[in-house]
Amino acid sequence: MTNDEAFFGRQLPFQTAPAPDLTATPALKAMGSRLQCQRCGHWLGPQDQLANQAWYCRQCLQLGRLTSQHKLYTIPEPNQLPKLPDGGLTWQGELSAQQQVAAQSVLAHVQSQTNHLLWAVTGAGKTEIVYPALVWALSQGWRVAWTSPRVDVCLELAPRLQAAFANVAQTVLYGDQPQPYQYCPLTICTTHQLLRFQAAFDLIVVDEVDAFPLATSPMLKRAVDHAQKPTGCHLLLTATPGEGLQRRVARKELAVTYVPLRYHGHLLPQIDLQIAWRWREKLRHGHLPVRLIRQLRAYCQAGQRFLLFVPHVADLPLVDRALHLAGITGGVTVHAADEARQEKVQAMRDRRVAFLVTTTILERGVTFPNVAVVILGGDDPVFSTAALVQIAGRVGRSAQFPTGDVTCYCHSYARRVRLARGMIARLNLQGRRQGGRP
Amino acid sequence: MNACVWCGRRLSGVVTVSQLWRWGPLVKTDVCQDCQTRLTPISSQHCPQCGRQQTDETVCHDCQRWAGQPLVNHALYVYDAAMKAYMQQYKFQGDYALRRVLQEPLRLALARESYDILVPIPVDQATWQQRGFNQVTGWLQTQPFQQALLVQATHKDQPQSAKDRAARLRTQQPFTLALNAADILRDQRVLLLDDVYTTGRTLRHAAEQIYLGGAKAVTSLTLAR
Ligand SMILES: [Zn+2]
Ligand SMILES: [Zn+2]
Ligand SMILES: [Zn+2]
Repeated sequence: MTNDEAFFGRQLPFQTAPAPDLTATPALKAMGSRLQCQRCGHWLGPQDQLANQAWYCRQCLQLGRLTSQHKLYTIPEPNQLPKLPDGGLTWQGELSAQQQVAAQSVLAHVQSQTNHLLWAVTGAGKTEIVYPALVWALSQGWRVAWTSPRVDVCLELAPRLQAAFANVAQTVLYGDQPQPYQYCPLTICTTHQLLRFQAAFDLIVVDEVDAFPLATSPMLKRAVDHAQKPTGCHLLLTATPGEGLQRRVARKELAVTYVPLRYHGHLLPQIDLQIAWRWREKLRHGHLPVRLIRQLRAYCQAGQRFLLFVPHVADLPLVDRALHLAGITGGVTVHAADEARQEKVQAMRDRRVAFLVTTTILERGVTFPNVAVVILGGDDPVFSTAALVQIAGRVGRSAQFPTGDVTCYCHSYARRVRLARGMIARLNLQGRRQGGRP
Repeated sequence: MNACVWCGRRLSGVVTVSQLWRWGPLVKTDVCQDCQTRLTPISSQHCPQCGRQQTDETVCHDCQRWAGQPLVNHALYVYDAAMKAYMQQYKFQGDYALRRVLQEPLRLALARESYDILVPIPVDQATWQQRGFNQVTGWLQTQPFQQALLVQATHKDQPQSAKDRAARLRTQQPFTLALNAADILRDQRVLLLDDVYTTGRTLRHAAEQIYLGGAKAVTSLTLAR
């Protein structure tokens, strides 16, 4: 890599010019009476000053502090990239007929350089659906970023894309990653890392666009726009678009491709709602809803494995004790900060434990064949509509066991639960039209 | 500013009954309830020499091993994961706004100390250039202090945390006295102020110089131990 390449489409901070002939802008630019960070867009407050009188941006501090003594250096993206005839694809798999229809639609939007949403239910195979569009983009010599707000999604994706596009040089960027930056046709990175780019990418694929923190962060939304070339476009991927995205789709501001069926052609399981009046007070006294106990006992007797979702880490020991008292044993609890998290998930995969009691950490990505899902307290605000649909999507992932139960116990029929059921019902309506089986 | 300076969440701005009861001026706070309790204050059960939190009030193992002149240190908080995270963001990422988290606790702690002159541990020129502030004086508001010590450059090139205990103890005297120091220090009781007490080596070097300047007593206060 020549030294220049490090600056192609990037914006890198230095206090003194690292090389002659680079375009530079002040890192903090005065706009009227206020300063705006040119990396993350944050408006500085009147107190954001150091003892040496320099100003600094607090919002993008994790990427290295920017002060009024810094400039951002860039070289406009020259696309000095190979035009691979077959897009560098080495993937041997085949798309189903349904996936192919969606892939064609995605490809057409990328070719016409328009922003696009791929709304594919959990288990639809959305990554593979993007491959034809990615092949085309790379064969044009486009610079592509595949980004997600979640580092675990990036880490899971990178080896998959490396295997599927073995002839494409890739660079992976996230918080404390050890490898140095490389100028490549394909960049896989957390959305935070896009803050280091400026008008670099012809195509940005935003994976899990509804996931925290992208959904709630204006900074990260700006990062996507800023890293994209003015002539470029982005493709948003999600199973559960938030209300904002759904509104843009409804107003026809954003083109959308639906994939309402899973790759095995079955519909999504609907959430079965059970009212459990004052479940939280009862849990505090060590009791679980009677119907829940009965259901879980039946699962245990039938050898049906299950995931029991609870709202908070603090609920885990209470639920665990109550299950023990009811004679429901053979499972473990797991949460995000659990040091044994990986081992416990693996134990569930290996069928060494009968069930997991967990918080929302397992809502995405993690799949077990043939599990039932039970949610205790689905009306708690930690379960967003998206989270509920994602949790329901843990069921019926494999072609061998394409169906299963999703039961949600609530004190009341909360709005988010209603919206989640509505979203599943609408997707299944479309799925039925495409020949989906229940 | 109505957001917590540390976690960024909105401050509720609720006045508690106890605040009204005290009838004093309402202290404007920048730190939310959660963040105020994130750090662990050192209780009365600590080493009487270095201030380390322990289960009794006997002189700790490290202090017993120390052969030279003893230095009495008081410390506010345990140097635990939360304090390390705070220091990481404040000192190493350079988030100067976080000084406000500890300004009020330090003000109260200084009021309990008896001293004539407050001397903060200085940072060298390179650190000042790069960091843009001295992390110790950042915690002071209106309390008067004297910059009686100077520090040779390169002193903190290798961060203390990267050295092992033996290497830290071998460190050469990094401090010299400022030009007017002898006039200021003569026959005074001096309180040294630093961020973290690790081996006490830095503070002992500083105390040595302060005594040379003519002080009659030297003690120290650190934010963490
Ligand atoms: Zn910024
Ligand atoms: Zn806070
Ligand atoms: Zn001690």
